[in-house]
Amino acid sequence: MAQNRKPTTILDSLGEEIVRIIAPVSTCMFLVVLLVTVLNTDSSPNITTIASIAYNETSSDSIWDKLKGALLNSLAFVAVITVTTFILVLLFYFRCTKFLKFYMGFSALVVLGFMGGEIALFLIRVFSFPIDCVTFVVILLNFAVVGVLAVFLPKMPILVTQGYMVVIGILVAYWFTVLPEWTTWALLVALALYDLAAVLLPGGPLRLLVELAMSRDEEIPALVYEARPVNYHEVDPRTANVARTLWRGRNSGSSSGSVEILDSNSSPEVGLSDGGEGRETRVVVARENQNSEVLPELLAPFVNRELEGSGTQVDGGREGNASMDGWAIEGIGLGSSGAIKLGLGDFIFYSVLVGRAAMYDFMTVYACYLAIIAGLGITLMLLAFYRKALPALPVSILLGVLFYFSTRFLLETFVVQCSVNLIMF
Amino acid sequence: MTVAAGLGYALLALGPSLSLFVSVISKKPFLILTVLSSTLLWLMSLIALSGAWRAFLPLKTTRWWPYAILVITSVVFQEGLRVLFWKVYKKLEDILDSFADRVSKPRLFLTDKMQIALAGGLGHGVAHAVFFCLSLLTPAFGPATFYVDRCPQMPFFLISAIISLGFVTIHTFSMVIAFNGFAEGKRMHQVFVPGVHLAAALVTLINLSSGGCMVGIPILYFLVALTLIYCGNMVWKRLTEDRSRRH
Repeated sequence: MAQNRKPTTILDSLGEEIVRIIAPVSTCMFLVVLLVTVLNTDSSPNITTIASIAYNETSSDSIWDKLKGALLNSLAFVAVITVTTFILVLLFYFRCTKFLKFYMGFSALVVLGFMGGEIALFLIRVFSFPIDCVTFVVILLNFAVVGVLAVFLPKMPILVTQGYMVVIGILVAYWFTVLPEWTTWALLVALALYDLAAVLLPGGPLRLLVELAMSRDEEIPALVYEARPVNYHEVDPRTANVARTLWRGRNSGSSSGSVEILDSNSSPEVGLSDGGEGRETRVVVARENQNSEVLPELLAPFVNRELEGSGTQVDGGREGNASMDGWAIEGIGLGSSGAIKLGLGDFIFYSVLVGRAAMYDFMTVYACYLAIIAGLGITLMLLAFYRKALPALPVSILLGVLFYFSTRFLLETFVVQCSVNLIMF
Repeated sequence: MTVAAGLGYALLALGPSLSLFVSVISKKPFLILTVLSSTLLWLMSLIALSGAWRAFLPLKTTRWWPYAILVITSVVFQEGLRVLFWKVYKKLEDILDSFADRVSKPRLFLTDKMQIALAGGLGHGVAHAVFFCLSLLTPAFGPATFYVDRCPQMPFFLISAIISLGFVTIHTFSMVIAFNGFAEGKRMHQVFVPGVHLAAALVTLINLSSGGCMVGIPILYFLVALTLIYCGNMVWKRLTEDRSRRH
């Protein structure tokens, strides 16, 4: 090449934010599939949860019974979630944020300590790992406490917070895959429809929550995964450092689990910001042979695009300064870096879908994975287009369910027929 | 035949694509997205084909011509989709160029366009390997292995991994040839790609006869080598004439 250094094109950095959110979602799904295949026992424990309160599926029932039972179960679950979300809106309205934050930390502790401990015990049993009780308890305690701190403290390294979010997602998703099959699929579809209604309809609880938070200019306490902000190359080191520390300071509010709500009118020249997000959904879990304990968690299956990336900026050189001005003047608005936030409930239900697909065969796993990623991509594009809080569940779940059933009933016979005869194209 | 064997078969089919991914594609996030979307497109075409053929399966015949029809219809459908893929890519290229102008960066270089084509082809190849080879490898991780009657020399998993490797290479590089052919309007490139795809698919029909795989697989690899040489030749010519044009 004649030139020593080729100028960088847009291809080097385009789409980086999307990849930064796809990577943790893929990791979560992959680990759940791994857990399901390793721990897959034929006899699933008979857990009484709110999700199976109406009907307990046995393999000897007729198809019509199973369908009815599954629908009843999912309706019960969605009803419980609606009620608890309205309670949450009420609590937020009366400004009980301290209570909500403590509750969030408590649920993180329970998930990491108890559910994580149980899965660790299963794994130890399967692999015959030599470890004694005292060591196990000490390690588990430390693990859970650091996790709670990661959810609470603003100054944690962002990798630790992100890692713990993914771990919480994995643990909850694994426990959901224990539900019977028809109930799981009906539940996923019902939740996707509920998500759609709760976010977009004017009376939906999540929309109320978002509007409340936006009107008060407050953050919603919720468990949210936040992708690392992207630093573009034009920002010169001086402003980059300041922007980074300021981002840290802002990030403190966010990584404690709450979400930043940006006012879309505040900084027109810096960039566009989307309205708030923060939606909580309830995960209800119980232990065997006990009465169903309601153990709600504050999760937020939402996608919030904090700031448009460099696309709408005027010219490259001024970008750094514009971001500095935006910071100094407004105090909200983020500079040249944008971050996408995805609620933890989305992680969980994507992984539940893929985990349930793994219980059938690996071909369905690959197909559902691609469908979910495609749905996530479509949702992100819609987010960039509409610039308001959008539900992240419906498109992915519906595509995933569609691909699962078409792979299971159509694709499998076709591919097996061709491959066994060693015919490929 | 244990986890080691299963992993071995998986890497046999997907090893070169993995190294290609790590060295070229993982550096640029846009290429990762291209790989994912072309994998999805190939999967959708496969589902459409299986939906169309569902009524006729399973083919309980020992004659070869139903399989030939199956293969020919599938290849024709997928080549049609490649043209569609090209049209979508053309629109995307315009959007990317206007975006580059807006942020005052240089427009897409020729190497960038070729990298996008490579990523698209890799997506197709990986989808092929995953659905035709990897998804059937689950039993290989266990304690036993499986042989087909028509080809008793090697385990079934090994044969399918080798054939998949050939097809992955063909898919990856024929996308580069196809995109270059559509961009320059050269007839030769545009005809070469469907030709090689159809030829390779028909060659696998030889596997239907007993002991056929000992003949079919070398011919397949001859076609793979042909694709590689053709692609290398074309890219070299295009890059040198582009460089000489700019000076």
